[in-house]
Amino acid sequence: MDADVGPATERRRSTDRRLRSLLRRGLAFRLGVTAVGVGLVVVFVGLVVLLVGGASASIARFGPGFLAGTAWDVPRGIFGAWPAVAGTLITSALALLLAVPVAFGVALFASEIAPRWLRAPLAYFVDLGAAVPSVVYGFWALVVLVPFLYGSVDPSLERLSGGAAPFASGSGETNVLAAGVVLAVMIIPTIAAISREALRAVPHELREGALGIGATRWEATRMAVLGPAAPGLVGAVVLGLGRAIGETIAVAFVIGNIYQVQGSLLARGSTIPSWLVNGFNESYGLGRSSLYELAAILLVISVVVNLGARVLVRRFERGARLRPRGARAPIAAPPPREPGTPLGTPAWFARHDAARSARLRRRHGVQLLVVVLAVGAVAVAAWPLVSLIDTAAVNGGAAIVRPSFYTSAPPPSCGIGQTSCPLGGIGPEIEGTLVMVGLAAAVALPLGILGGIYLSEYARRRFSRTVGLLVDVLLGVPTILIGIFVFSVFLAYDRPDDQSAFAGAAALGVLMMPIVVRATELALRSVPTSVREGALALGFPRHRVTLRVVLGSCRSALVTGCLLAVMRAAGETAALVLTAGTSLYWITDLRAPVGALAPFIYDALMVYTNSNYETDAWGAALVLLLMMAVVSLAARLAVRAPDAQGSV
Amino acid sequence: MPTKLEVRELSAWYGDRQALYDVSIDLTDRATTAIIGPSGCGKTTFLRCLNRLHEEAPGARVAGAIRLDGEDLGAADVVSVRCRVGMVFQKPNPFPNMSVFENVAAGLRLLGVRRREELDQGVAEALVHAGLWEEVEHQLDAPGSSLSGGQQQRLCIARALAVRPEVLLMDEPCSALDPIATAKVEALLARLKSEYAVVVVTHNLAQARRISDTTAFFYLGKVVEVGPTARLFGSPAEKLTENYVNGRFG
Repeated sequence: MDADVGPATERRRSTDRRLRSLLRRGLAFRLGVTAVGVGLVVVFVGLVVLLVGGASASIARFGPGFLAGTAWDVPRGIFGAWPAVAGTLITSALALLLAVPVAFGVALFASEIAPRWLRAPLAYFVDLGAAVPSVVYGFWALVVLVPFLYGSVDPSLERLSGGAAPFASGSGETNVLAAGVVLAVMIIPTIAAISREALRAVPHELREGALGIGATRWEATRMAVLGPAAPGLVGAVVLGLGRAIGETIAVAFVIGNIYQVQGSLLARGSTIPSWLVNGFNESYGLGRSSLYELAAILLVISVVVNLGARVLVRRFERGARLRPRGARAPIAAPPPREPGTPLGTPAWFARHDAARSARLRRRHGVQLLVVVLAVGAVAVAAWPLVSLIDTAAVNGGAAIVRPSFYTSAPPPSCGIGQTSCPLGGIGPEIEGTLVMVGLAAAVALPLGILGGIYLSEYARRRFSRTVGLLVDVLLGVPTILIGIFVFSVFLAYDRPDDQSAFAGAAALGVLMMPIVVRATELALRSVPTSVREGALALGFPRHRVTLRVVLGSCRSALVTGCLLAVMRAAGETAALVLTAGTSLYWITDLRAPVGALAPFIYDALMVYTNSNYETDAWGAALVLLLMMAVVSLAARLAVRAPDAQGSV
Repeated sequence: MPTKLEVRELSAWYGDRQALYDVSIDLTDRATTAIIGPSGCGKTTFLRCLNRLHEEAPGARVAGAIRLDGEDLGAADVVSVRCRVGMVFQKPNPFPNMSVFENVAAGLRLLGVRRREELDQGVAEALVHAGLWEEVEHQLDAPGSSLSGGQQQRLCIARALAVRPEVLLMDEPCSALDPIATAKVEALLARLKSEYAVVVVTHNLAQARRISDTTAFFYLGKVVEVGPTARLFGSPAEKLTENYVNGRFG
């Protein structure tokens, strides 16, 4: 047989071999991306299992009464959740109340009012505000916001309310109100950024339609923009709420960390995340189990908020189209009219004519008022960011221009009041951040991109919808819970070194994964089907279409998503406090505790209370801020760069 | 016929780019004026200047004068200008979160009409006027966006008519519609011109011929020729016009 194989047959056979190998690779690729999808499910299930498992002793001991219990008595072994749950709900509600009007004002200004040249810088600062690490917000709040509130706002509230609840005289600078305000400050940029996107997404023709029948700009926004944007606005608010519920570090700084329910916002308190981060490392036995149960409650709250948001957004998507009104009486058809005969002047027209100028003045007045309010909102939202950058620059500016700041370790213990402290640096912390973020990114970015490919290109069935839902849920899971989850995993399998650089990197990886998955999915979905069909029509196998053509044509969106994920990881504190531990030294072993930039700020204020690391902490904060500023700018520029110009 | 809109030496810019150069033209009352010309010739910009919508664009600037019944529009209140000079857009743009009724009532509500019966009457008249009444009589509470494309466009016309404008501007009102819907809108235009000054921008020469009394040919931001439609298409005075209406360039 082999003797009479002609060149044509040979060519066909080699093509067959090539095809088979391509098909095999395609199948392997498909299995690979599906595995990542399954992996996401495993992570979520693991999270639930470990939290509930850790809580089992507490559940067995206290039953449902845990929720109503008000004590946290370690010596007597009595634990209850109510003060932390109430604190979480109160601070989040307060934050939402304060943040939503301001954030909507900022979004309105950025989308509808600001002159064109101002829009891009404004959007950048809003993004930057959303990217500032929570530990930096907390630090600023402790140094600037809390004294301001204590000095000016608290006394007035007390006076106004006559010392009655909810503003009864408190016990000091840190209190529930301060926590609510700092949360509001933190979620304003988040809500504003997404609301702005929602407003911008409304087609311009609708605004023009309204302007064309004589609406003022605000009337046009009200009539034609707010309705279609409503689902996005609701989504923004809920995302802000989720962030407020899960925020850990900033709240831990300013709330006072007392486990009690009091009738006053001026009293100290705690929230679930702040209580977890404060007590978890030192807890043991039943106390730790009860902390696990608190964590599980937090998970339930965040999942409920998340799923509630989906239902709400979907209802708005359907319902916003039409505001239902009461049944209307049928309108009689007007009498037929010969074409050409004048319409006549209805009563309202004459009346309107008479009242025209007064009404017009009022409408223009409303327009002006809206502009003034929106500008006011921008000013209110800008103050924290400006003050924060200013404070960090003033306190940390000297440190960051000193080269040794980057190359030396923090100074050995230098007591408060000691006049000449040796100058140190944050070299080990920078190293720790680089190592952990690098390790996490090396694993989470490729996996996340594969997961995004799975959701966008391969998944078509119910399982993929579940995965998509879980990605949403994971995106909303407070990072402190991710910290506890990873801590538990390492506790179970890596007994002697439960806090280590590896554990920290794992936590950051879990944190980054859903961000990258979602960013990739959205980027891929934005690539028109025609691009895929064009490549498929040329005979490209599916996986190569995805890898070469589709991924290639949305590179900048992909890069942006990865940058944002890296940024979040670099600024993360809560998860690292639990997993990476604390260390002031250079890394010698990745299986030992390690310091990092963001946790260093937390430790400087909460752990090394006998040393004076404040200047170094401000230096670290400034480094983080600059990093976020640069990365936000890069992300913004990457989005603007046209993909089409690159080679595919 | 009397002149309704007097346009004198109108120039318009988007930032540094000039879109209109010294356009002077008289638009007749109770007649349809068609604006024709290749894309980018400034015809839409011209239309948007007539109700001062042009100035909403970023970096927009205008010079020259537009007079409505002798009254300078540039000096008038912009909101009242847009009530008196209504506009219908290329793509039907009913407010998506409002019902058919509310879409038409929106302009009336802006003017402060509150009484139920006045609103009902105003909406019904506008819908009859726009030739849509019979089709939507029983679905006034349905979302405006649930109508067909042609119905949506007539809904937008009704929305503009409801506030009793004196001039009706239409920017390629049929370019997004199928032939049957186009025929309906054209028939409507034929009726409307007996009561309004209608200005239609169109790239469709046959349509301009069918519906207009006067036609203005724009090229590169300038008016090349204005004249009675039959004359402009039959024996154009300018070579450029002749080439355009005979399809030698577009």
